[in-house]
Amino acid sequence: MALEQFSDVVQRCEALPNDSYTSDDHNVFTIAGRTCIEEGNSPQVLSIVLDEKNQNIVRSMGWNLLPPLIQVLLKKEDKHLPQCLSIFNHLLETCRPKELLIGLLEQLEHDDPDRIAESLHLLLNPLQKVLLCLGSRKASSLGMTLSSVLDQLAKLPVPVTKEQEEDDVFSLCRCCTDLIQFVRPFVQEARLNQSSGNQLEKSHKTASGQDEGAEDELQTELLKFCMKTLSQPLLDVQIRDPDTLPLSPLRTFASEILDILGAVGESLPSLLFHPLLKRKEVPGFLEEEVRYPKNSLASLAHLVFVHHLAADTFPSVFSPVFCLRSNMEHISILLSRPEDSRLQKGLELYEKSLVRVEDGSLPADLLEIKTFLTVPQDLVKVMTVCPKHDLRTKGLKLFQLSIDKFRTEAKYRFFQYMLRTSNHSGVEGYVIKNIKNQIDAALQPGNSNIWFEGAHLLPLLRKVFSLPDGPETDLLQNLDRVMESLNLLRYLVIRDKVTENQTGIWTELYKIEDAFMKPLRVGLNMSRAHYERELQDTMENKKKKTKDESVLSVSVDGDELPKMTSESQIQALHSALHTFDMIESVLVRIEELIEVKDGPEPAGEPHPLKT
Amino acid sequence: MAAEPTREWSDEQLKSDDLPKKDVIKFLQDNAAHSFLNEHKLLGNIKNVAKTAKKEQLVIAYNQLFESKRFKGTEPVEDVTEQVKAVKIEEKPKEVKAEVVDEGPPKYTKAVLKKGDKTNFPKKGDPVSCWYTGTLEDGTVFDTNIPTVAKKKKQTKPLSFKVGMGKVIRGWDEALLTMSKGETARLEIEPEWAYGKKGLPESKIPPNAKLIFEVELVSVD
Repeated sequence: MALEQFSDVVQRCEALPNDSYTSDDHNVFTIAGRTCIEEGNSPQVLSIVLDEKNQNIVRSMGWNLLPPLIQVLLKKEDKHLPQCLSIFNHLLETCRPKELLIGLLEQLEHDDPDRIAESLHLLLNPLQKVLLCLGSRKASSLGMTLSSVLDQLAKLPVPVTKEQEEDDVFSLCRCCTDLIQFVRPFVQEARLNQSSGNQLEKSHKTASGQDEGAEDELQTELLKFCMKTLSQPLLDVQIRDPDTLPLSPLRTFASEILDILGAVGESLPSLLFHPLLKRKEVPGFLEEEVRYPKNSLASLAHLVFVHHLAADTFPSVFSPVFCLRSNMEHISILLSRPEDSRLQKGLELYEKSLVRVEDGSLPADLLEIKTFLTVPQDLVKVMTVCPKHDLRTKGLKLFQLSIDKFRTEAKYRFFQYMLRTSNHSGVEGYVIKNIKNQIDAALQPGNSNIWFEGAHLLPLLRKVFSLPDGPETDLLQNLDRVMESLNLLRYLVIRDKVTENQTGIWTELYKIEDAFMKPLRVGLNMSRAHYERELQDTMENKKKKTKDESVLSVSVDGDELPKMTSESQIQALHSALHTFDMIESVLVRIEELIEVKDGPEPAGEPHPLKT
Repeated sequence: MAAEPTREWSDEQLKSDDLPKKDVIKFLQDNAAHSFLNEHKLLGNIKNVAKTAKKEQLVIAYNQLFESKRFKGTEPVEDVTEQVKAVKIEEKPKEVKAEVVDEGPPKYTKAVLKKGDKTNFPKKGDPVSCWYTGTLEDGTVFDTNIPTVAKKKKQTKPLSFKVGMGKVIRGWDEALLTMSKGETARLEIEPEWAYGKKGLPESKIPPNAKLIFEVELVSVD
């Protein structure tokens, strides 16, 4: 039935002059034709389509047959596969490119990863063929195609381990490889445009302004493509180095993308140092943000500086400090999202940039650049909150490394800043330990500096020797900070002789006693009293075996956590009291040392300890 | 062949503070054999030698020269070496930076291969463009942006950046400020003003590498 209808409409339309087909004709052709293919009548359709007489109608309406044809081709086992393939190829050669393009692109869209991968694999080649027929007007169609393809690609799961990349179960790697094949001729065309049009001023509208515009458009579309891929999938993928995985489709893909950037006239240094090297205004229809999205540039920085993918083209003349400065922007972007893969990349880029710089070489004025303050804050977040142990450890390591790279004044200012803003006892404690190390270094003969001795040191010490909430400070929560402050005080009192007072601690001591030691003493007493009472109550309750009526309960995932047993509670309270003892012992020791130093020098003064 | 040079200064005059080191060095460089100068570490830019040699050493060398009579032209290889030295000295431009760096002698040397217009010198902060080739001491080329030499990736633009701002290695920043538009120079940069102790492994630059660049200053904006 359908076959007869199809045959009829073709015959009838062939008699009509071109373009006078009615919409009814279109409908009949489409529905009948599709049905024929679906019902297995492809051989007959093939002979109709190939018939010399019918070429006009095939050209006008043939593309409507694409959907069922492609379904058959995707199935791969249909007995009429060869005929369908022949019809398909004939249509590609005969029909109008713009219409074919629409037909093909429609068939790319799926939700199921397997279907997406298979469709891409099948259709990229035909799409390329069709686009190449569009001549100088291909740019916007290419753009549309690339956009659709990347949208589909984004739905494919990304391999996480090396083995997953090798297995490529969801075919992401194969699709990436296919995609590079697909863009190759367009890249080649852009490359040729680059070298021939190199001498022309792009902003100059000459008589051939039309063609120049077309070349520009092609370049722009390819640039858009690169930027998109840098973000998706490349930002989420872990690239393996050659020694880990000699044959890596994803690494090859990334390298090719970098190559395409070069082909369209973008220089990698220009892109990466973008915010700092003021680019000339490029006339075009894309705004800066769209043209050079920050995420994509950050991804690019990681590929270049961590994986060295452009090692043979990237200039080896930039100073390491300059590279660090530029990369801080990218690091900041990478660290701003909580996903492990982003954080990992941010930390790696930061590490690679810091390691290239000599110790103690970064000047204080770098701290006037916003990212030099926000990145350490991001690191603190990673160090304290990130669930992954590896990342927390790495964050801490980088925190210390960044401190080591600063010059003395910069270290000073950085410590000031972190003490003021980090709001985390562990971080504060860590910074205070660093301050101690710097003071120790400054006291070595020949290393004297104005920042960790004398006038500048005192304001910094005032920040260190303080309790956030005075005597009411929660000593357990602030333990790290309090202990490190006490350690520092003890060190200073031992190391710096009263007679020398290089650090100024002795003249400052009475203030420290008032602002720090006395409130701490009060706080210890209060805390101890409170916990001792708690302990007593708990032990009595345990004896009485009274039901524990707590007001709070904690549940995770719907399951209520068991209430702390009396034993655990008692243990916790003992532990707290033990902590107070520990704090007190250091405090007492310091008080002893001060008394001794204030009084006459005893005979057996211990050798200044380096704590 | 010149007649044997005569002693200009007595021992007292030599040791006196009135006689600058530079004068003694100049005399020695003008009159002593190359190997003699080499042994006494008196080769190179007079300013540099003055910084590293003590007056006492110079007095000793001066006296030894006359004792051993190892003057110029007394060694067979001398002639060729002399010619080479003479050529080099001629081409050495007066553009060598007038500013004395307080950290010590400049850690690079520049030899002009092609003179520039001697008018357009970049100032700090000016954008400049260069073609360049970088090699290690052993001749390995680690970087270049010259189209015919670079790999298939056609880089048809010279490298552009703002000079004197610390964006590039110090040797480049310092040297380019002494070059004029159109000049091509050969720079030999000590590691301290290049990539130092760490080198740049991904670019095949080992630790403590002295880098040699041939740089053409194409434009100064």
